[in-house]
Amino acid sequence: MAVRPEPLARSAPVAARRQLSVRGVLEREGAFSWLMLTPGVLFLLAFVAYPFFYGIWLSLQDRPVARSGVFVGLANFVTLAHDAVFWQVTRNTFVYTSVTTVLKLLGGLAMALVINQAFRGRNLVRAFLLLPFIVPTILSVVAWMWIFDPTFSVINWVLVHSGMITSGFSWLGNATLSMVSIIIVNTWRGIPFYGITILAGLQTISPDLYEAAAIDGATVRQRFLHVTLPIIKPILIIVTMFSVIFTFSDFQIVYALTHGGPANATQVFVTYAFDLGMSGGQLGMGAAAALAMLPALAVMIVALTLYMRREP
Amino acid sequence: MSTRREFLTAALAGGAAALAPRRVGAAPKSMTVVHESSFIKGFDDFFVKTLSPEYEKLTGIKVGYETVSVGSMLTRLTTIVETKAGPEIVGTGLNWPHLFDQGLLDVTDVATEIGKKIGPWHDNIFDAVVVNKKWKAIPWGNIGQLECYRTDWFKEVGVNKFPDTWEDLLSAGRLLKKKGHPFGFEIGHGFGDNHGWMYPLLWSYGGREVDKDGKTVLIDSAETAKAVDFCRKFYQETMLEDVLGWTDVSNNKAFFGEQISCTNNAMSILIVAKRDFPEIAKVTDHGLNPQGPKGRFHLYNPQSHAIASHASDPAAAKAFLRWLYDDKQLSRWLVAGDAYYAPYLQGYDNHPMWNADPRYLPFKESLKTSHLHGWPGPAGHALSESNAKYVLVDMFAKACRGDSTKDVIATAAAQLKQIYKAK
Repeated sequence: MAVRPEPLARSAPVAARRQLSVRGVLEREGAFSWLMLTPGVLFLLAFVAYPFFYGIWLSLQDRPVARSGVFVGLANFVTLAHDAVFWQVTRNTFVYTSVTTVLKLLGGLAMALVINQAFRGRNLVRAFLLLPFIVPTILSVVAWMWIFDPTFSVINWVLVHSGMITSGFSWLGNATLSMVSIIIVNTWRGIPFYGITILAGLQTISPDLYEAAAIDGATVRQRFLHVTLPIIKPILIIVTMFSVIFTFSDFQIVYALTHGGPANATQVFVTYAFDLGMSGGQLGMGAAAALAMLPALAVMIVALTLYMRREP
Repeated sequence: MSTRREFLTAALAGGAAALAPRRVGAAPKSMTVVHESSFIKGFDDFFVKTLSPEYEKLTGIKVGYETVSVGSMLTRLTTIVETKAGPEIVGTGLNWPHLFDQGLLDVTDVATEIGKKIGPWHDNIFDAVVVNKKWKAIPWGNIGQLECYRTDWFKEVGVNKFPDTWEDLLSAGRLLKKKGHPFGFEIGHGFGDNHGWMYPLLWSYGGREVDKDGKTVLIDSAETAKAVDFCRKFYQETMLEDVLGWTDVSNNKAFFGEQISCTNNAMSILIVAKRDFPEIAKVTDHGLNPQGPKGRFHLYNPQSHAIASHASDPAAAKAFLRWLYDDKQLSRWLVAGDAYYAPYLQGYDNHPMWNADPRYLPFKESLKTSHLHGWPGPAGHALSESNAKYVLVDMFAKACRGDSTKDVIATAAAQLKQIYKAK
């Protein structure tokens, strides 16, 4: 007996009813996607977009704490531009970010290349190398405070007892050394982030490529430059971009270790913004100082993104 | 396997349940006091274990006691006042009643009553807590910043009594540094131990940041130059290089590490030494800040209670403060504080707590010569901004590291003119 197939399309009134019903809406891919996205979007709006735009609004006001603000346009930024400390803070932030980024990139790359090799206890080594990143920042900074202490410093002890110097360095009391100190701590803490991320990239490289290069007579250096580096370049760019953002806005290490001292030698944008806004009660000025880092970050992120999009 | 529709239905139901207002009972009769955590554990404990239960027994109102870490109260207060949420009774310090005046209730009536019963109030305290002729906070005690020194090492170099002038202290410091016992006065970005001696030093040489009008910047003066020159010499000839990077924990740590022979600090060093380092406690004493050519000065750090304007029942909050500042309660609480807080009420000038240890007495004595940061300028927002930018600290710090007196004063003057909007 022949069976009549079900009609492919329902009658027009039924289809219209279904489209208007809740069930109909949920069955539509576009509507369902938006429903799934909504919680995330709301979260971003509430905790990222709102504070960001509120920060911009604050920066355009003379807004002492506990008082209503008065719109002053760009006056806060003009005031900062005439503040010698602000320019010192700007220099400090760029030195701190650029030096630590280069050190972390080189250190992280070296770490990744080493722990990508097969050797006994590799997993244990990988776990230990991650420790600086896992330990809460403030705890590790307290440890570093002791390491840099003039009396109890283990670095000074080693240097003095090995005969390299006669008296210990004032790691946090000297303007140059205090910057070196916060760079050391940030680099120590940040290298594992680079290392593990780059390692993930290294593990996607097919061994066949290395074999082919070796058969063609490529040296280790040539294999690194012409096989490894091009493949992990996008990862290097992304990890650098994240790292620059994190370092630019690094608060804990600087605040806990030096609080911007001595004489503002280690003061960076975020610590200065905190001092102005919270300690000084000038919320508008504090917001302006915090936002001052935005243009540099934005230019860098746009440049790196464009570079990545240009890459084949 | 659940269908998309089933999953969504379950998720929405769960979300709705989470968002639905929970049924709660009647609002409990309670309020909360927030303080900076005290160095004196017994002080906080006395509130929690004695005062709060007593008040609850008396009135049925439970008073919670929240503490924040030392140095964090200003941040906590900012969030409370800005969000109009959280504890009703808030601890304030320094000039904060001026910063937060619009977020704090007028407590003039309570302060006046207390002044009549246990007072009168010390005159200097009005600058800190009275804003536009209204009391915005009620002080209970000053955390004084004095000289804390090792009596044994001072005696070793022939100094049997704490030096009375800065020049004499410099002379003693030279001898002590040669003996391997340098001084350690904080010149870094801490929150109290730096200003604790730098303002008194500036004032004692006749220097001032700004005049009473809050518009005339006075820092660029011959008196300031003398103070800066002295500070450079004092640092170079008596101290460790590291003090330039110190924060408030550093000098305590160095004192207990027997690394320094003298510093400027609150009474906490002695208190902690008595508890944890009894041998050091035996040879620790306090001295008033030395005097300079223009007198002797100390820094005020008034600890006070204020009522946040969001308090749902201001009358209840005031009633609690009246009870707390009654002699029966306040006196016992101050004793529990081990004289760490010097009261501003003249009725307590001869309080028994001062008899517990003669080394406490300089803290009472120092009240007479104490002023707020930025004195004689107004205790408003500009003062806080100057402190937050470490204008005075960095002026001295830069001189200590070798910058010229003229340059460091010029930089400070430019900053202060911007802060005070002076011409």
